[in-house]
Amino acid sequence: MRVENLFNKNTHSWMVMGRDEDRRKEVIDTNQYLVQNNGRGLILDPGGVESFSVVAAEFSKHFDLADVEAVFASHQDPDVISSLSLWIQTNPNLLVYVPKIWVSFITHFGVKIENIRPIPDEGGLITLGGHDLEVVPAHYLHSSGNLSVYDPQAKIFFSGDIGAALLPDDYTDLFVTDFAEHTKYMEYFHRRWMPSNTAKIRWIAEVRKRDVEMLCPQHGAIFKGDDVEKFLVWFENLDVGSAWSSV
Amino acid sequence: MSENIYTRKMGEEYDTVFRQCVSLNTELHKLVPLAKQMHLLSSNAVSSAARAGSEGDAFRVLTQDIQLLGDDVSHCINDTQKVISEIVMLASSLARSFSNYITYNDLHNRLEPKEMKTDVSFFEHGQKTVVERIKDDNHKLSRCLGALANLLSPVSTLVKKGEYLAVCSSVEAASAGEHGVSFEAVSTMLRALVSQLGKQSVRQRSLLRDLSEAMEKQQLNQRNLMYAR
Repeated sequence: MRVENLFNKNTHSWMVMGRDEDRRKEVIDTNQYLVQNNGRGLILDPGGVESFSVVAAEFSKHFDLADVEAVFASHQDPDVISSLSLWIQTNPNLLVYVPKIWVSFITHFGVKIENIRPIPDEGGLITLGGHDLEVVPAHYLHSSGNLSVYDPQAKIFFSGDIGAALLPDDYTDLFVTDFAEHTKYMEYFHRRWMPSNTAKIRWIAEVRKRDVEMLCPQHGAIFKGDDVEKFLVWFENLDVGSAWSSV
Repeated sequence: MSENIYTRKMGEEYDTVFRQCVSLNTELHKLVPLAKQMHLLSSNAVSSAARAGSEGDAFRVLTQDIQLLGDDVSHCINDTQKVISEIVMLASSLARSFSNYITYNDLHNRLEPKEMKTDVSFFEHGQKTVVERIKDDNHKLSRCLGALANLLSPVSTLVKKGEYLAVCSSVEAASAGEHGVSFEAVSTMLRALVSQLGKQSVRQRSLLRDLSEAMEKQQLNQRNLMYAR
């Protein structure tokens, strides 16, 4: 398990946790992000039931989880949010930010409606300890209700499944080290899981409006510096929704 | 016996209880067409008696009892459907809660108090909630099983009543001349239906007994696991 600080300035920080080598091999590896501001915490895509104990135990070493006031789910998938009932049982006051269209689906994970803060299609803001994080629409990438998060202070863009890579077990780096080499781990995922070129172009335009130093996906390695733009160009030129069967 | 052994045994018992609940649910669903057939039969009996005119007077009295029997069977089946639905839901909830319980155990094993910024007690709330839910669901499940046993116990009486009515119908058929043919048809169908009801009731009671035994084992393991902690 790798845990690393992505940003740390004054009372504001980002931490990533991933590469759980002890997970069952049939379970996809996920990155979990903990954003802290003024002593308040937000976990982005907290992960599945399978990873709850690892995520909670690891983050506990770095932050008082009693101060985590909210979790954010980029979309409704089990690897993103099926641990929700465990987080809620631990902290019944936890706020749960989810795309609005998934509210009645995510409640199947055992969360009460009082905990849920639906985010409309157009996105919005999440305020954490007095600091605003932007929620950017990423619909159809891959889920029909899909959101990204941008932190203007840290210049970090959490992209959910966009930029995800299916890495081999011996790939332990948290960051992309050789972009050209890395594309081979991303191509099938994006062609197969991302259905819409139109949505892709709209999302890329949204990212380019912002000053992004790191692009952080839920699976695979993080893009830093020039690799962010390299990824956007690569993604722009990729024909998504084209990897079904022999297509 | 170590906590892990009790935990594993409890997991196995939850699986068994859930499977048995589903089997019992499937078996009880077989009663639904039976209730419809009983209703149809009582309607046929009423029209047979009406067609027979004054020769059907005695049989008409029997048709009222056949109708009442059909109503009793229907009520019994409707009530058991409600209870078994709740039982399946509880069994599913128990299996899910137990899986959460295992996850919290795993978390506690991973926590290293000296390195932690989060107080260990923070996670106890979640585990307590799960344990309370398991206890609560177990109580509810026991109550539902008791209720189901109570609902199924009069079925044997209904079967006997049905057999008796079938005999009476045959007697009436023998003395009703040309109308006796339709009375006898009602009698034959009634006999077949109550025989089917009787057989299914035996099977359901046997499944219910197995389920109650599995529940007892599971509750024993649960108590052992709590003491082991």
